[in-house]
Amino acid sequence: MNEAVVLDYRDVRKNFGSFVALNGVSIRVHKGEVVCLIGPSGSGKSTLLRCTNGLEKLDGGEISLDGVVLPRSETGMRDVRRRMGMVFQSFELFPHRTVIANVMMGPVTVLRLSRDEARQRAEVLLEKVGLSEKAESHPASLSGGQQQRVAIARALAMQPEVMLFDEPTSALDPETVGEVLNVMKRLADEGMTMVVVTHEMSFARRVANRVVLFERGAIVEEGPPAQIFDAPTVARTRDFLGHLGWHG
Amino acid sequence: MSFDWGIIWQHRAELADGVAMTVLLAVATMLIAISGGIVLALMRLSPLRPVSAASACFVEFFRNTPLILLVYWAFYVMPVAIGVEFSAFATGLAALSLNVSAYNAETFRAGIVSIRRGQSEAALALGMSRWQVMREVVLPQAVRRVLPVLASTWVSLFKDTSLVSVIGVSELAYVSLQIRSQTFRILEMLTAMAVIYWLLGYPQAKLVDWIHRRYGVSE
Ligand SMILES: Nc1ncnc2c1ncn2[C@@H]1O[C@H](COP(=O)(O)OP(=O)(O)OP(=O)(O)O)[C@@H](O)[C@H]1O
Ligand SMILES: [Mg+2]
Repeated sequence: MNEAVVLDYRDVRKNFGSFVALNGVSIRVHKGEVVCLIGPSGSGKSTLLRCTNGLEKLDGGEISLDGVVLPRSETGMRDVRRRMGMVFQSFELFPHRTVIANVMMGPVTVLRLSRDEARQRAEVLLEKVGLSEKAESHPASLSGGQQQRVAIARALAMQPEVMLFDEPTSALDPETVGEVLNVMKRLADEGMTMVVVTHEMSFARRVANRVVLFERGAIVEEGPPAQIFDAPTVARTRDFLGHLGWHG
Repeated sequence: MSFDWGIIWQHRAELADGVAMTVLLAVATMLIAISGGIVLALMRLSPLRPVSAASACFVEFFRNTPLILLVYWAFYVMPVAIGVEFSAFATGLAALSLNVSAYNAETFRAGIVSIRRGQSEAALALGMSRWQVMREVVLPQAVRRVLPVLASTWVSLFKDTSLVSVIGVSELAYVSLQIRSQTFRILEMLTAMAVIYWLLGYPQAKLVDWIHRRYGVSE
């Protein structure tokens, strides 16, 4: 791929006390690429995403965004965070605000857009995730799938260069998983750079340009979905996928 | 023994002034103590040890000192310590505010730490500063969550304002007791005082019950 490198992880390390959560991870994410991170529970996938936008501090190595190494300071990270969108497993919509106010929050408080501009931007995004009619509702009255779509709109409102998804569908009822994955698929088709932690293997297979398998804080194997799912070169990959009931 | 209930009607103007003063004192105290409580709670949660310790000392001191002692202390010691004479009203207001701020600080602290971490992380992830996260996301939810507790504190405060009568603030208790000593109508005035406090307090207590039902089980 000869697109520019957006995110560059170089030998990233993270410890929690004596526990090694990330043990030297290196990945390059190119512009417009969708990278899916898969792997067993506790293997460090969330930790890598959280390190990416500074919710956790690195203990070694470095991450750069558009060729610039991420700062260590809290204020420096703030400027970086507004260029990355993050979607959490548990949605984390702000329950005291309406749906549209949730989407407007970033542009108004961080980008200092006027309320009118922010509202326009939010309306376009709610339309895009198919929730225009819920604009004035409170998050609690929405289904999980709807809440997660609002959370995606909220992240997009900052017009980020890259989107980070941490198991966006793991907390959803099976019947609402599809609507969220569709929104993500469309985003990928539009050329958004995405790093997605997921247990949805069929999504990874269909949408990812590259799949990275993690185990115990390190990369076991990475490659295009065809390689990982159909012709894994590492025995551990076959075990993991077989364990999930994936047989090519 | 004969009763003269007319005495209450004769002194209705003074009693009304007393009621107004009681309400004013309670409202002013609560306004100060809500801001004070939030500031103290934020200080308490500060990562800077001295800041957090200062708030903890303040809160533990004023929360565990009898209010009546605080009122006397403010009246006799504060002028000497600071070298300025305050009116009885300002002194009473200070004593009440110190006490209620300390209570509110604990209330707000509990409310703030009850908001789960994912909420601040989602806000941080948008690029907000720590202060913006607190103002836009954590505090509004925390305040809603502690509304029932604040309402209960208000009801106690309303009755506790009577304690500042000992330093001559002309609120309802002081006025009633003054009329009593001028007219020697002890039973009538004490009864009137009880009835007025009850008439003012009962609707508030009902309102608090309603707030508990409305906001008690939150989210
Ligand atoms: N704040 C923390 N303090 C201590 N240990 C932590 C902390 N955060 C994560 N860990 C540990 O680090 C390891 C990796 O966690 P992480 O959340 O990155 O795993 P994961 O791959 O996302 O797993 P899952 O699929 O369950 O979400 C886990 O063993 C976890 O217990
Ligand atoms: Mg995880």
